[in-house]
Amino acid sequence: MTMDALRRTHWIARITFLEAVRQRLFSFLLLLGAALAVSSVAFRFLNFGHGELKFVADFGFGILFLFGSLLAVVMTAQLLYAELDNRTALTLLAKPVSRSEFLLGKFLGVWAVLGVFIVLLCSILAGVLLTRAAEIAPVAEAAGRVPPSVNAAGLAIFALLQWMRLGIIAALTLFLAAGARTFLFSVVAGMLAVLGGQLQWLAQDLLTKPDVGFFQRSLAWFATRAVPNLQQFNIGDALVLESAGAPAGAAASALLAGSLHLLAFLFLACALFRRREI
Amino acid sequence: MSAWATWTASAALLIAAGSASDRSWAAVRPCIPELGARQLELSAGQGVLLGVLGGLRTLVADVSWLRSYVLWERKEEAGCEALMRLACTLDPHARYFWEQTGFAVGLDMANWEIRRRGGYARVSKEVQDHVFAAYARKGIAVLEEGARTSRNRAPFLIVAGQLAEMKVRDQRMAATYYRAAAESEDAPWYAARFAARTAWEAGDRAQAYAWYRDHWSSVLRVRHEDRAPDDLAELRMMEDALGVPAMRRIPRQPWER
Repeated sequence: MTMDALRRTHWIARITFLEAVRQRLFSFLLLLGAALAVSSVAFRFLNFGHGELKFVADFGFGILFLFGSLLAVVMTAQLLYAELDNRTALTLLAKPVSRSEFLLGKFLGVWAVLGVFIVLLCSILAGVLLTRAAEIAPVAEAAGRVPPSVNAAGLAIFALLQWMRLGIIAALTLFLAAGARTFLFSVVAGMLAVLGGQLQWLAQDLLTKPDVGFFQRSLAWFATRAVPNLQQFNIGDALVLESAGAPAGAAASALLAGSLHLLAFLFLACALFRRREI
Repeated sequence: MSAWATWTASAALLIAAGSASDRSWAAVRPCIPELGARQLELSAGQGVLLGVLGGLRTLVADVSWLRSYVLWERKEEAGCEALMRLACTLDPHARYFWEQTGFAVGLDMANWEIRRRGGYARVSKEVQDHVFAAYARKGIAVLEEGARTSRNRAPFLIVAGQLAEMKVRDQRMAATYYRAAAESEDAPWYAARFAARTAWEAGDRAQAYAWYRDHWSSVLRVRHEDRAPDDLAELRMMEDALGVPAMRRIPRQPWER
């Protein structure tokens, strides 16, 4: 990629970012997510059998993933189809901008918005967790229990993992949207792909079992290559709340696997979009 | 880049990503609460997928537990057990869920079954005992699963021992659970005594003494600041009952009363 191509991609990404942050869906999900994260302390009466901080953290992680996935799928498809339906893509591609640059710019713009979404929500969650941990600690000490702790660095690593997870979802949706004819189909297929990604570990577990037939093994092998494992980014509890933390290198290996899947889906999206009639 | 090169690069990247993901999943798997395919099949259709979908697992587990209360009050066995087990599946590290499910299945549901058959006055003692034993075994199975997945093993093993002792009425089985509890890291102080007592009552007197003596010497005396004098007193009673010769008894301790 030449410097000119990079400049053009950056320019498209910048426009896409500005367009995306102005969307009502982004503001709505961000505000709703922030409100739920703050109010999670009030939901602690629902908590049975586990620490209050775990409940608050899990609630926050759940919101982050649910709203983040929704945002990644809908915003990616919507921003691409808006360009195609309004014919602005035609005008843009008539200039010396390649289809791959256009698509990459779109992806980077969306990914940047998702980064903003994650940083804001994780900051709020960190504030809630640290405040509650400080409030609970004296009570726990007085009762002779080990005071709960929150690992802020672990939360930062978790945020990075979530950014990668949402990046994969955006790239996957872009790939589906590049080949699909309608916005609705892209969104539905994107959400189903997220569901598949969340359940991909079943195929991965199947591969480790010795008594699996050739057909099942082949199917599982294909599924583990074609569908990304989105559960591997779900280690927030270990990173943020547990003193032992996650095993060394776990986050790094998840990031490596995630970045390879992300790149693969971007390549596939570019390959499909090149053949698309606009 | 030509179209062919792009497709080839994509395929190569997907294969590399899959291989990297296999390695990464092996490293990450221990950090994620166990959600095996078997549990997924058991609770499919009850919203487990929602829990699988993200970090909202804890919340879904709590809601499922609350819903199980409603069915518990209505004494709807199947629905109540399914929802309780769903809560355990979604939040497998929560001791409360496993313990309470074990109690509900092992004790409450046996009572419901006897009432369903006409009540205590109409159901014969033999049938009552059979029902209690059958449900207690189911409860013990739940507690065993909890001991495997939860972080604290001993509380589950103690409750399993109690069910085996009081409802299954199998002292030998109870002794096995109490012994496993006594040998676990988070063992409560009374577990060893329960294990020795139930094994003794089951008729395995010599084995009960041998195990208790060994456990007192290697664990209790070392772990407890007061060197577990009550356990030693129990051991002395066993030695008297078994008629252990003076030379083969536990040597008298300087602090012993």
